[in-house]
Amino acid sequence: MGHRLSRIFVAAALAVTVTVQAGDQKCNGTARECDQQIRQILGGNRFLGATIEERNPGLFITAVTPDGPAARAGIMVGDRLIACNNKPLTQASSREFKQTLADARTHGKLLLIVGRRGGYKRIIARLEPYTKEQIDKIISAHLSQSHPSSAGAH
Amino acid sequence: MIDTVLSKLRHATQRAGRPDRVSILLPFLLISIGLGVLAWRSYHLSLRTEQGAKKLAMHHADSAASITAIRVDAAARAEMAQAVEEWQQIERRIGDPTFEALSAWIGQHEWIVSAIYVPDFDPASAIYASENAKSAKGEMRLTREFFTVKGSIKYTYDPRRLLARPSVQTAIRQPRPPGNGTGLRIEQTADVALVTGENPGLRKLRDGFAVVTQLAPPLTPFGIRAIVRTSYVGGSGWENQRVMSLWVSLLALVLLGIGAMLALRGIKKESETMKLRGALIANVSHELRTPLSMIRLGAETLKRGKLKEKERHEIEDTILREVLLLSHLVENVLDVARIQNQSTRALAFTPVHPRDLIRNLLTTYESWIRNKGFTCDVQIDDSIGEQMWDRDAVSRALLNLVDNAIKYSGEDKAIEVVLRQDEEHIIIEVKDHGIGIAGNDLTKIFDPYFRAQFSDTQTRRGAGLGLTLVQQIVESHGGKVEVESTAGSGSTFRLLFPRGLAGDPAQIHSFGAPREAF
Repeated sequence: MGHRLSRIFVAAALAVTVTVQAGDQKCNGTARECDQQIRQILGGNRFLGATIEERNPGLFITAVTPDGPAARAGIMVGDRLIACNNKPLTQASSREFKQTLADARTHGKLLLIVGRRGGYKRIIARLEPYTKEQIDKIISAHLSQSHPSSAGAH
Repeated sequence: MIDTVLSKLRHATQRAGRPDRVSILLPFLLISIGLGVLAWRSYHLSLRTEQGAKKLAMHHADSAASITAIRVDAAARAEMAQAVEEWQQIERRIGDPTFEALSAWIGQHEWIVSAIYVPDFDPASAIYASENAKSAKGEMRLTREFFTVKGSIKYTYDPRRLLARPSVQTAIRQPRPPGNGTGLRIEQTADVALVTGENPGLRKLRDGFAVVTQLAPPLTPFGIRAIVRTSYVGGSGWENQRVMSLWVSLLALVLLGIGAMLALRGIKKESETMKLRGALIANVSHELRTPLSMIRLGAETLKRGKLKEKERHEIEDTILREVLLLSHLVENVLDVARIQNQSTRALAFTPVHPRDLIRNLLTTYESWIRNKGFTCDVQIDDSIGEQMWDRDAVSRALLNLVDNAIKYSGEDKAIEVVLRQDEEHIIIEVKDHGIGIAGNDLTKIFDPYFRAQFSDTQTRRGAGLGLTLVQQIVESHGGKVEVESTAGSGSTFRLLFPRGLAGDPAQIHSFGAPREAF
């Protein structure tokens, strides 16, 4: 599993490099507009910090962001999602799980029941807003990609 | 056709003594009721047609708007679903999404303005891309999110541009107008359009209905407006039922009015006749009784005998006079009755010298006139030739006039009888210096049984038939009667006979025939 993940990371890194090198993808807004837009889109409690995978049947945690909300709540790789906020997930797709996460955005509270090593575990997690560092990173990535002229100014 | 109907009607109204005067109203009433029902039905039908057309227009507008809204919603949703599907294919193909892939995806869908892809595991490596085309000011922006296997995409889009997509536009189909071809006399047009910022619901227009249906969220600022207008074909012609019914009901009212008028006139005439009949019975019985009792008295005296020659002579004179009066009265009554029953008796037109006629008459009644203390001044134009007259009838007319002159004279007991001629007429005038006739009675004196009201009417004998007879006789000769009179200073009656009546058989009229036969 770890091997596969690292492969994805490498591919992502490559893609970023390629994009930066391409450089001709222009964004029609000014840097400030894009900045505002991104901050607006990313506002609210959205971040759990866990990657899930659909296996037949059920949803399994395949990666947990270090020091993310999921990691702090005690979610571990290999946990099977049984229920979330009173919604059974044993037969659900990953899209359905994400929809329940989206529904919980306003208050951010998640009551998860996971299956771990043959037993059930009750976990209370909390969706968190993206950190300032994360957002800044996204913005700078965007600016360096599609606003080459103004990248330095930021 | 109409003439015969009219003459029959007139005939019916003029027939005296018919007890069912009101029955003349019946056909008019029936026709009017029929027409009224027809008019009402027609109006009702037009009302129903209009209501039906309105209801149809309303339902049509409503269904057109909601069906189109559903269709547009479905098309927009299909467009969005297609975008999601395309993105998932891209993600499946390249594994980890890149900025280029996102930009290309945005470029494929011109209604998407910007998008951000956030991987679940590492949000910090999210990709943001914005469209290349310069966006205009005041554009609407809506946001939508969907989830993929490894992350989620949140994109903003311009709903106007989404709704302008050909796939959405084809969903706005113009419906067929509802009313045409249904056999109703209406023309309806339907119009469906995409609108912004209009309140949903039914709105009444001057000539139709507009229905606005909101699109489903998130496109609620937009709505589908369907307008159905109704107009009537042939606004003011005969084919317009409402105009028709108005005219028909007017016709019914007019017919009813005519019927009521005829019936009223009949009733009035009848009541007048009844009144006059009562007067006649009273008058005539009085008139008959007086001479009869005089004759009886005279006859009884004669039978008792032992009378002086002079007394006997006086009694004989009295009897003769009263018999004359009586026969005169009876003739008048019978003639007038004959006129009123319209039994026809041909006048016997013979060549008559008016001069001789007048002289003979006055000679016959000279003693009677003189007995009453009257003097008779006669002026005769000798140049007048023979006329084709009914001798007896004209004599009776003249006698009636002389009788009237004597009856209605006061102190001045002078009568003038003049025979003269002018361009067109042979004229016989009878003039007295008596009590005259009041102005408002002048028109009525020729009516049967009419007697002018004087303080002493009852002392003057008569049945009120004399002048009626005079007029009938003169008119059956093709002439007319004129009268000039002032109350208190005498009257002049003038009989105008047309000249040249001599020898023309076509001019021979039947006595007492209905007037319209002339």
